[in-house]
Amino acid sequence: MRGLQLPLNQTQRIRLQRALEKLHSLSSKANSDASVTVADTIPVNYDDAFLKGHGTTDLNGELVATVCGVVERVNKLVYVRALRARYKPEVGDIVVGRVVEVAQKRWRLEINFSQDAVLMLSSMNMPDGIQRRRTALDELNMRSIFEENDVVCAEVRNFHHDGSVQLQARSQKYGKLEKGQLLIIDPYLVKKSKQHFHYLEQFGIDLILGRNGFIWVGEHVEARDGMIVDQANNSEQSTVEKDQAYTPLEMRQNICRIANAVRVLSTLGFNVDADLIIETAELSSSLNIDIHDMLGSEFHVLVAEREAERRSLMTKRKR
Amino acid sequence: MVGLSVGEKHFIQGGIAQDLRSDGRKRLTYRPIYVETGVIPQAHGSARIRLGATDVIASVKAELGKPSALQPDKGKIAIYVDCSPTAAPMFEGRGGEELSTELSVALQRCLLGGKSGSAGSGIDPSSLVIVEGKVCWDLYIDGLVISSDGNLLDALGAAIKAALSNTGIPKVNVASETSGDEQPEVNISDEEFLQFDTSGIPVIVTLTKVGRHYIVDATSEEESQISSAISISINRKGHICGLTKRGGAGLDPSIILDMISVAKHVSEQLINKLDSEIAAAEANEEES
Repeated sequence: MRGLQLPLNQTQRIRLQRALEKLHSLSSKANSDASVTVADTIPVNYDDAFLKGHGTTDLNGELVATVCGVVERVNKLVYVRALRARYKPEVGDIVVGRVVEVAQKRWRLEINFSQDAVLMLSSMNMPDGIQRRRTALDELNMRSIFEENDVVCAEVRNFHHDGSVQLQARSQKYGKLEKGQLLIIDPYLVKKSKQHFHYLEQFGIDLILGRNGFIWVGEHVEARDGMIVDQANNSEQSTVEKDQAYTPLEMRQNICRIANAVRVLSTLGFNVDADLIIETAELSSSLNIDIHDMLGSEFHVLVAEREAERRSLMTKRKR
Repeated sequence: MVGLSVGEKHFIQGGIAQDLRSDGRKRLTYRPIYVETGVIPQAHGSARIRLGATDVIASVKAELGKPSALQPDKGKIAIYVDCSPTAAPMFEGRGGEELSTELSVALQRCLLGGKSGSAGSGIDPSSLVIVEGKVCWDLYIDGLVISSDGNLLDALGAAIKAALSNTGIPKVNVASETSGDEQPEVNISDEEFLQFDTSGIPVIVTLTKVGRHYIVDATSEEESQISSAISISINRKGHICGLTKRGGAGLDPSIILDMISVAKHVSEQLINKLDSEIAAAEANEEES
């Protein structure tokens, strides 16, 4: 785990150490053999034929890891999956990206992958909701849908032959994200789950966990029934509205609390999922911890201890 | 810097207007400051300061030199800042040079009182003289920006203050009495050190104006929204040692006076916090 850059005093350090050791001992023993660091030999049966994959190399007749990560075996392929690498997209993943370029009939989005992802104009629902062929006029009006630096939520559709990723945003729940903040954490902390869009009713907040490590926390927006038909009026109206309506204070406090909960969990290296985030946020409000103090060392230690307890309870229940 | 969408900018401005920023801070709250001293053992003094994701290192090196003819009873101090390319992609190659010069000049102005006379500066150069007119200490203060997330000037000011309190200038014995233009012989002792007196060193507070409100310690996202910013260096007595205004928007004089009084109020807490953190860091350093 990355060295925590927090000013911990002596007791806090000891408590944190204890909690982390407890978590470490609770994690299943089978996996501990699989993690390797650079120059570790990978246990492989050399009599069987196997393929050397990414992150491995042949050194003096032995198979040695070149990155720090977990050894994965798929049939005859042996490779090392690095933990803190860039996001590796899979078809059907929900990702949150930022538009970097508006190109011909497509938008290019940055999603923490080695290349920019492509969102085709034809993979976007038109504002008027009609299914039709995209005309040249639509192409000229692309900026009215998404501009540069907009935050967009989309789904991975497929891979191009050159390795680049194609996205689609055909459903109502995808699209531009406003009125909130974007958090960036390591991609490996977001595991694939059934639901990536969470509407937290008790807070009135939308929480989108992009699998590429981009997390969106914002005001709840009802599933769009298409944008307002007249686009020229729309841009005028929206700027005027924005000048007047800031997010109400209570909702903003909830947004900040959830955002800080995500930050704390990512600093500690715990998997980020909605239940854990809600629990962390409720822990902080039940202890009357000020929102900014959530980023202090005391709360980090509390969260680590809570998580250690929770996991030990879970393993006890399993037995 | 990564761009921000219109919606995000609006959210940040709303937060500042409602006194609740993106990470839950109030407008006048600093991020937690983390101080480590003695990080560069070869230097006479060094410190590393972490302010959220902003990470800077300051080091102090003292060398023997000759005082200038205009001010024979004062030593010389030079401050130079370097923005490492690891801090941000735009610092690659010569991209960081403009920002480095700007920071160096601002720090010189705030801590040394400008390039012309060093009268009334935060750091007293007359304590650096050994033999008047012949030998003095030259202090070279270097700042390195490792990671940039806004508010570099404040972090560098605090790092320099911490580095100077960590500095031990070797004691010098003047070997013999000489007359005329001969250079006196000096023995630099390896054992005894003189601690620098840092109680008079000012601390820098940057107030950033976004919309109609000012915030302290802006992150780089908030800094993309600034209309103007004022950096004030204030010492323990509450006196202003230096003042810099950045940003293209004009400011009404009454606003500037208001910002100065706000900065004075904030600086008291900051100086106390910084002093306690520096003391804790030095205690930690002695233990390890």
